[in-house]
Amino acid sequence: MRVRKLIARRIALMIFVLWGIITITFIVARVIPADPIGSILGPQAPPELVEKLRKEWGLDKPLYQQYFDYIINVLHGDFGKSIKTNRPVLEDLKQFFPATIELATFSLIIAVLIGVPLGILSALKKDSTIDYLSRMFALTGVSTPVFWLGLVLLYLFYYKIQIFPEPGRLSVGVQPPDPITGMILLDSLLRGKFDVFLDALKHIILPSIVLGFYNSAYIMRITRASVLEVVSQEYVRMAIAKGLRRRKVILKHVFRNAMIPVVTVIGITYGSLLEGAVLTETIFAWPGLGRYATQAFLSLDYNAVVGATFLIALVYSLVNLVVDVLYIYIDPRTRGALEG
Amino acid sequence: MIVNLNWINNGGIVKQKTLAIILAVIVLIIVVGTVAMLGGKGGAQTTVTQPTGTTTSPKLEMTTPPDVLIIAMNTGDAVSLDPARAYEFTSVMVVNQIYDKLVDFEPPDMVNVKPEVAESWSVANDGVTWTFKIRKGIIFHSGRELTADDVVFSLQRVLILKQTAAWVLEQFVSNPDNIKKIDNYTVQIVLDKPVAPTFFLSALTFTTSAILDKQEVLAHQVGDDLGSAWLTDHSAGSGPFKLVRWIREQEIVLEANPNYWRGAPKIKQIIIKHVPEPADQLLMLKRGDVDIAWDLTVDQLLQLKGDPTVKILSAPSLYLAYLGMNVGVEPLSKPEVREAIRYCIDYDAIVNDILRGGAIKWQTIIPKGLFGALDKQPFAKNVTYAKELLAKAGYPNGFTVTLTIPTTSPQTDIAAKIQADLRECGITVNIEQLVASQMYEKYRKQGLQMVLAQWGSDYPDPDNNAKAFGDYTMKQLAWRNMWYDDYASQLAQKAAVEFDASKREQMYKELQEYILHNGPYAVLYQVLIQQAVKAWVKNFVPDPLNNYDLYKVYKSTD
Repeated sequence: MRVRKLIARRIALMIFVLWGIITITFIVARVIPADPIGSILGPQAPPELVEKLRKEWGLDKPLYQQYFDYIINVLHGDFGKSIKTNRPVLEDLKQFFPATIELATFSLIIAVLIGVPLGILSALKKDSTIDYLSRMFALTGVSTPVFWLGLVLLYLFYYKIQIFPEPGRLSVGVQPPDPITGMILLDSLLRGKFDVFLDALKHIILPSIVLGFYNSAYIMRITRASVLEVVSQEYVRMAIAKGLRRRKVILKHVFRNAMIPVVTVIGITYGSLLEGAVLTETIFAWPGLGRYATQAFLSLDYNAVVGATFLIALVYSLVNLVVDVLYIYIDPRTRGALEG
Repeated sequence: MIVNLNWINNGGIVKQKTLAIILAVIVLIIVVGTVAMLGGKGGAQTTVTQPTGTTTSPKLEMTTPPDVLIIAMNTGDAVSLDPARAYEFTSVMVVNQIYDKLVDFEPPDMVNVKPEVAESWSVANDGVTWTFKIRKGIIFHSGRELTADDVVFSLQRVLILKQTAAWVLEQFVSNPDNIKKIDNYTVQIVLDKPVAPTFFLSALTFTTSAILDKQEVLAHQVGDDLGSAWLTDHSAGSGPFKLVRWIREQEIVLEANPNYWRGAPKIKQIIIKHVPEPADQLLMLKRGDVDIAWDLTVDQLLQLKGDPTVKILSAPSLYLAYLGMNVGVEPLSKPEVREAIRYCIDYDAIVNDILRGGAIKWQTIIPKGLFGALDKQPFAKNVTYAKELLAKAGYPNGFTVTLTIPTTSPQTDIAAKIQADLRECGITVNIEQLVASQMYEKYRKQGLQMVLAQWGSDYPDPDNNAKAFGDYTMKQLAWRNMWYDDYASQLAQKAAVEFDASKREQMYKELQEYILHNGPYAVLYQVLIQQAVKAWVKNFVPDPLNNYDLYKVYKSTD
């Protein structure tokens, strides 16, 4: 019951946060001294056309009027039309976000699979060869430019060794399944098209490795620090002293306690992955939210900018909520703190 | 406190050695990969001349299906495949495969208009009443025959919807009622005012004037949108290909129209795969997964030189890069100063050293290949003469000026070169970099001193460039640089309505000659379009008009 109350309160708060985000983004996007219509039409456009479109997009109205119109539309689930794609922003997001969810989820799995075990090992074997190598690995991870790593992996595994397919979500000529969720991996399974599923799976591996590797570094470092701290606690010594098996101590006492900050980091990582990753998406021709949002920003596509920012804010809020709920289950002590 | 971890360390969970080996392997892969890639990029003879795949024999081996044309291309610009809306590179190119137009060009010829849907045409003595005879037996993808009704509907639709590309047609005929059906195979168009016949016809070759299947389009009408929403990613044409699907930022798939009136195309399917990163396009072409790499950079094209499986094709585009000089700004108001600047710039160095084959030297305002283009390049770097001109204008010690440029390459490099060149003449240039959208916003308000920009024409008639560069009343380039020259303005307007082709040509040559020395520009170069295709791709011609007649393309290893 208490958990439910917590969630309800957090959602109520979230509405205010999102409203704030929309307002700020809206204002910032419109006070930038540049001309979105001109940027889309290019230098050739005759001035009458620029004027006509400006009217059509309501950019000739006073700012407060534009703002109220916009908020009312948002309340009706209408984020306006993208100047750049000529489609409702919501429709664009529906197409680009599922691709990002797929990639983010795979990348997170890889990041956690690398980061957490490596972090634990590195802590338990502090100052050993493994520790040094893992730390070097983590350092390489954060400092490797993803764009470059992506190109290297494609060069090696697509062009030279030829064990992975070309960039993109599917191979040339493979027809995507009719969308249900928009996630090709899921949709192909739901539609029973296993060959499409396998093809999509092969395509997602390299970009996930790039993003996973980059993000694993952070997770690994936090895990290591956290485990080191827990290991030195009195209750761990006590557990050992009373004769518990080492394996049991690590799994039951050390691991569970050390996981609290790690869960937070994983949550933040997932949130940032769901924002999309423009460089990785570009190099792997991945039609995700990152490219959409970046292009919207670059072409001053107001509605798309606000829509994408709203979605990202929503995702962050939800991820944070999930992390908070997870705390309660991992660490009973937080219950009072969170509810008080 | 020093933590003793030995109690936990003993025995270990995973063998240290194994883990060390795994980590070492990962590091090794990255290092080897980099070395291999840098080796390839470094252009060492051995790696460049080595053909990919199994081609040790001179015989070419096709690695893509023989009747499917696969193109790697950045399609991110496409907004809609509705001909009334399509205005971007990708959409115009795709629309041109799906639809027929009344008339068309056959590149590289951009001077003589050829019949397409219109079998023949004539213009009455009043200069405004045009009659088009429609070809019989053109069948839409739906199976219906194309008639005068479809032509009238398609052209009227453009004028009613007034979308981004509508002006191409609207500048000649603004009232939809002036487009009339005479009989099933005859259409009459009455223009607002007389214009040169070649001018009107060449504008009709732009995809705005594509002919749509009226019944099919109206069957998908929503509200009063005349089918615009549906046509965004569906097709209702009679062209050599029909649209199978367009998934944004993923792929565009076209399928051959077996009933095409000129005969079925040899290619059965065209797949345009969205690959935003040119480096990927290069890898895909080299591995042989695609037939055409659309957007390679000059560096990447140079890498492909010597690869026997690849051809690099090029053609001059309709894009001119120019230095604009605002006549409203003090020293630039003097013609001698502008002429001096034209003599300070090292054009050859820009074309050869910075653009390295990506452009040709061109100095007049109508690009090479167009009707009336004047092939004259009088300017070359001559510091002594430039200094004389500056002294004559009263600026023997030069002056300081701001040059605004977009943040993109190669403009940044060119700006640095111009800065260095002008410094030799005693002129100090401060470079201001702006995001393109902000730069054009300022430029449109006459707010720049000097600017480095590009201008491209939508259809191959000199009028577009002549008016933009010469006629300030158009509020385009001449106006933005505050060059209010009535002689140039009137000449550009007169040429647009001159019926006699040779007189018209003469007028444009005069105008170019005049702007060359009096105008507010230093035209720097004409951009080349370059595309890399596999050697088995035949009849592919880079098209400055961006229409790309893929109908004629086929694949063969002979």
